Amino acid sequence: MNNSQDLPLKNDIAARFLPLIIGLMVYVGTLCFVFTLFILSATHLWENQLRTQITLEVPASPGASSAPLQAQVLQVLSKTPGIQQASAVPKKEVETLLQSLLGTTLPVDLQFLPVLIEVSLNGREPIDIPMLEARLKIISPQIQLIDHRPWQVQVSSLINASVVLASTLTFLVLLTALVTTTFATRTSLLIHRQVVEVLHLIGATNEYIAKQFQVHALKQGLIASAIGAAFAFLTFIGIAALLEKAGLPSTSLSSFSIQAFCVFALSPFVTGGFMMLSARLTVMRGLRP
Amino acid sequence: MSDFIAQFVGVGHQYKKGAEIFKGATFNIEPGSFHFLTGPSGSGKSSLLKMLYLGLKPTWGSIRLFGEDPLTMKPSLLPLLRQQVGVVFQEFKLLDHLKVIDNVSLPLRVRGIEAKRSYRDARELLNWVGLGDSLQAYPATLSGGQQQRVAIARAVITRPQLLLADEPTGNVDDDMAIKLLHLFEELNKMGTAIVIATHNQRLLERSPYPHLTIRRGTIIRTPKRSKP
Ligand SMILES: Nc1ncnc2c1ncn2[C@@H]1O[C@H](COP(=O)(O)OP(=O)(O)O)[C@@H](O)[C@H]1O
Ligand SMILES: [Mg+2]
Repeated sequence: MNNSQDLPLKNDIAARFLPLIIGLMVYVGTLCFVFTLFILSATHLWENQLRTQITLEVPASPGASSAPLQAQVLQVLSKTPGIQQASAVPKKEVETLLQSLLGTTLPVDLQFLPVLIEVSLNGREPIDIPMLEARLKIISPQIQLIDHRPWQVQVSSLINASVVLASTLTFLVLLTALVTTTFATRTSLLIHRQVVEVLHLIGATNEYIAKQFQVHALKQGLIASAIGAAFAFLTFIGIAALLEKAGLPSTSLSSFSIQAFCVFALSPFVTGGFMMLSARLTVMRGLRP
Repeated sequence: MSDFIAQFVGVGHQYKKGAEIFKGATFNIEPGSFHFLTGPSGSGKSSLLKMLYLGLKPTWGSIRLFGEDPLTMKPSLLPLLRQQVGVVFQEFKLLDHLKVIDNVSLPLRVRGIEAKRSYRDARELLNWVGLGDSLQAYPATLSGGQQQRVAIARAVITRPQLLLADEPTGNVDDDMAIKLLHLFEELNKMGTAIVIATHNQRLLERSPYPHLTIRRGTIIRTPKRSKP
């Protein structure tokens, strides 16, 4: 009936702050963790593109069609090892891109825009960029080759740095929750030492006494972190809505949301479990003669 | 396994900032026996009981409880020894945050007995000691005599092998004292060894049981006498 209340733990004034701290920690911790996951999943695609794509700019000659030049370039590309596919970006796409940047009011003469050729590398064979560049310059000295790959190194070190930062924060948050629980349990054990003494004298084992603290810590942890995680989830939804508004493709976000939801849903159990364990260890250690 | 419930040989205790309580207390408690522990106030009755329920370590001498040496046995096994002993503490030591019924059923819960049975036994016993109307009360709201009866109920509910009672009739009138003595006698008939520390003269006079008397740091045993 009241198996977990042989010690008056519910009334501990000293431990009142614990749920608040745990709730806050779970809020910050889950958001950090989800942020890490988000960066990892969102940048994976992007990083991959940087690694496997180069772009060519073929100048347009006013009046004349650029089609023959294009054909020559594509032929050179098809003979170059390491290339999987190459194709010109359609004029229509360039137009929309420009309009989204400059607005529709500005008249843009597409004739004067260079043709962009997207080249995907197959990633299996190395590609000899200087050689390719030299061959292209023979066709037309104005052809520009843009290699995105040097960027990739910087982007990935940036990503790595933020992942390390976010996971360090997650770890620190967990650690804080653990230390706080340990501290609160130790205080509570001290406050209730007379009750603990009576329990011992009437034959209670250390396990029985520890169980009281464990059940209490588990309950507290579950409730506090469920509230923290719920708020974190709301925050996440808000941020996701903002990102979507800012133009992030909603498909990548919605598939990621499932992962995020799992993190938020599981965090109370993980936190509660950790708190239970830390309460047990603290009590068992505190009761050792 | 020894034949004695408790064996004390040359036991003494020295409080850190106090007197030396015993020089050498030597006595045995046999299974099913009944003893009064007497001696003037401050002679060490409570201290002796404390050593019996493993709440106080002797400074010298040796103790055996149910054949085991509590000083050298694994600490994790001490609860098993304590579970054989019921104690009525002089200052009751009831848990103030628990209702009377929860206090009395606590020793059963601690032993892993299911709640339903614990509560049934506790209710029965509390009815018997005249507290059937106070099951849901908190100890602090009861009189000294009522609290004493709650403490007794908690000590006997497990039908321990050894029952230690420290001045268990100090707060009740003589009629209730006689009734409580009957409760201890009932328990004793079922095989529980009993040691009652008391200086209630009427109780001592009307009972035939042997006395363990503390005198000048030793224990003197006065044998059973026939009922007057
Ligand atoms: N915790 C303690 N610290 C120091 N002295 C104590 C302590 N408990 C009891 N004493 C002393 O030990 C002596 C015996 O006390 P006690 O065992 O309570 O005697 P009794 O129960 O016969 O009245 C007393 O002189 C008392 O002052
Ligand atoms: Mg005393």
